[in-house]
Amino acid sequence: MTLSSSADNPHVNTVLGPVPPDELGVVAIHETLLSVVPGAEHAFDLAVDRAQVFESVAAKLRDFREQGGGTVVDSSGMFHGRDVPLYEALSRSTGVHVVASTGMGPEGMLGGYFLTPQTNPPTPWPAERFADLFALELTAGMVVPRVERRGTAGLVATAATRSGMTATDESLFRGAAHAAVSTGTPLSIRYGNDAVSDLEVACTAGLPAGRVVVGGLDRADAVASAAALEVARRGAYVGVDHVGAQDDVHVADAERVALVIQLVEAGFGNRVLLSSSATGVAVGHPGNDVPFAAVLATFVPLLRAHGLGDDDVRQILVDNPAGLLSVRPPDRA
Amino acid sequence: MSRVNTVLGPVAAEELGVVAVHEHIGYGMPGSELDSRWWKTPEERYEETVPKLRRFHEHGRPYGGGTFVDATGICNGRDVDYYRSLSTKTGVHIVACTGFVGGDTALPFFSRASVEYLADQFVHEITVGIGGTGARAGVIKVGVSRGGRMTDLDKRIYRAAARAALSTGVPVLTHLAIDAENAIAIFREEALPLDRVLFGHADDGVNAAKTRDTWIAEQGGRVGFDTFGYETELDDPPFWARPRKERLEHFLRFVERHPGSALASADANCSPLGWPGVKGHTVNYIFEDLMPDLRAAGVDEATITRLFVDDPADFLSIHD
Repeated sequence: MTLSSSADNPHVNTVLGPVPPDELGVVAIHETLLSVVPGAEHAFDLAVDRAQVFESVAAKLRDFREQGGGTVVDSSGMFHGRDVPLYEALSRSTGVHVVASTGMGPEGMLGGYFLTPQTNPPTPWPAERFADLFALELTAGMVVPRVERRGTAGLVATAATRSGMTATDESLFRGAAHAAVSTGTPLSIRYGNDAVSDLEVACTAGLPAGRVVVGGLDRADAVASAAALEVARRGAYVGVDHVGAQDDVHVADAERVALVIQLVEAGFGNRVLLSSSATGVAVGHPGNDVPFAAVLATFVPLLRAHGLGDDDVRQILVDNPAGLLSVRPPDRA
Repeated sequence: MSRVNTVLGPVAAEELGVVAVHEHIGYGMPGSELDSRWWKTPEERYEETVPKLRRFHEHGRPYGGGTFVDATGICNGRDVDYYRSLSTKTGVHIVACTGFVGGDTALPFFSRASVEYLADQFVHEITVGIGGTGARAGVIKVGVSRGGRMTDLDKRIYRAAARAALSTGVPVLTHLAIDAENAIAIFREEALPLDRVLFGHADDGVNAAKTRDTWIAEQGGRVGFDTFGYETELDDPPFWARPRKERLEHFLRFVERHPGSALASADANCSPLGWPGVKGHTVNYIFEDLMPDLRAAGVDEATITRLFVDDPADFLSIHD
C-alpha cells in the first residue's frame, strides 16, 4: 500500500512509493538487481536483452519471496546499472518491495564529469555538489538520465577505494552524509581499508552513527581487526553482507556465523544486518550466482544451530532494517 | 573508390563538400547525464540543432555539400540514432566517431580494458556498426587527459586506435596535440602513417604555446586548427579562448609554411549536453567568420577549397 500523507507518517521509500516500515518483512539490505559496470552499456560484445534481464531478476526475487523475503534493497547507487522503471515493474510483478539507492563511489567508478570537469583547473567535485546531486534524488526523484525523474531513493550509498579513502571519496562521503541528514534518509557505506575511520568521515556532516550501515564487515581484514564490534559500539549498523560468498576477500560462512554470534552476545543484536551482495544480473563483470535468499535459505539455519532464537533472528532480519530504512524527517531526527 | 563512413552509410569522398572536421552535435562529460541541470527535452534539442545544420547545408551548396564530423567520444553522449535523424532531415553528411576524447572520458569498463579489447571495440564500430544502429564510425577519436601529459590509459587508447586505423583504413583525430612526442612514438611503433592522424586543438588559448605544430607537420602529421570561434572577445569566453586575430595569424603562418598539413574547424556544440556551451558559437563560424577572414587576409579560393574540401576528403577517405 501507499500512504496518502507520507511526510507525516513513518515510512520507507520504495520504488513504488512510501511503505510503512512494518510492512517490509525480511529485508536483504545490500543487493543489486541489475549491476552494470559504467561504460559496459557501450561495449560492442555485450548485448543486453531487457526482457531476459527482467525474467532473470524476477525469478530471483520470486525465489526470495518464496523463502520468506519481503524487501530487497538495491544498494549500488545511481551509476552502476540502476534502472528505476525496470525495478518498478519487477516489484509490481513479484510482490517484493524494492528500495533503490542514490549515491556513487568509489572514485574509480565515477564519470569524468565529477573528476575532471570542464573548468581550469579540472578540480574534482567538492562534497556540497555531491550533496545537491544526491539530495535531488531524495526530493525530486531518481534520474532516468536525460529523460525524467521518478520515485524516491530510499537510501544513500557510497564506497571508499579499497586501498584507502581518496580525497574524492571523502567528498563523496561528506556529500552523501549531508544529503542523508537533510532528508532523513539512511546512509550505506562500503569502507576502503579502515571501516572505523571511514565511519567517522561519514558522521562528520552531523549524521548520527545510528543512521549509517557500514557494509563489508565480513571482509577478512575487518574480521581480523574486529572492526564490526567497534562500528557497533559507535552506534552504526554492522553490515555482514556477503553471506554465501566464496572468495579470497571475505571470510566463509562459518566465520560469519561466529561474527554474528559474537555481536549478539556483546549486546549488539540490534545493530546487525545480513545480506548477500547478490547480483541479479551483472553486465561487464562476472557478478555472482548467490541467490537473494541466501541469508534465509542457508545462513539463518546456521545461526539457529548456534543458538540464536526467534527473537534475535527477527530483530536482525526485520526490525533492524526497518529501523534503518525508516525516513526520519530532519526536524525529528 | 574513395569512401567515407557517414551515419547513413558510406558516401564517396567527392560528395562531402565542405567538411567541418571537428565538431559536436552535443558533448557532455561522462556522468553529466545524471545532473538534470543540463537536461533538455528532445523538442528543445532539435530546435537548437536543426537550424544550425540546415544553415550549414545551405552554406555548403556552392561546394557541393557539407559534412559534419562529430568528434564526441563513446562515453560523451554520442547518440547515433539522433545523428541519423538529423542527417536525414537536413541533408548534412554526419560522420560519427569511435574512440574516446581522452582517457579521462573513458568510463570504468573501458579504462580497465586491454589495448586488444579497445582495438576490437573500435574496429567493430568502424566495420560492423555502433551499438544497434547499423551506422559505422568514420573516424577514431583519441586524446590527452587533463593535466598536460599522456596518461597510461591515454597511451593504451592511442595504441588501440593506431591498430584499428591501420586495419580499417579510417583516420585518427586527436583531442589536444600536446605531448605529441609520446603520441607519435606510439603511431610509429604501430606503423601508422602520420598523415592518417589529425593532431587537434593546436590553436586553442591554453595549449597553442605548448603545441609543437611545426614539428608535428615535419613528422608528417596533420595539424588541427579546430577551435576557431572560441575567442576572448566573446561575452563569456571559455578558459580555452584565444584572441581572434592571434589565432588567425597563427593559422595563416602555418598554412603558408605547411600547405596540406592543416585542417580547420570550430569545435562548436549544436546543443551542449553537459556544459553551458558558448552562446552564438556554431559550426557556421567556418562560413560566416573564418572564410571571410581568410579572404580578407588574401587567401585565394583555391586554397580555401583545398583547406575545407580536398584535404579533409583525402583525410577522411578510407585507405584500404
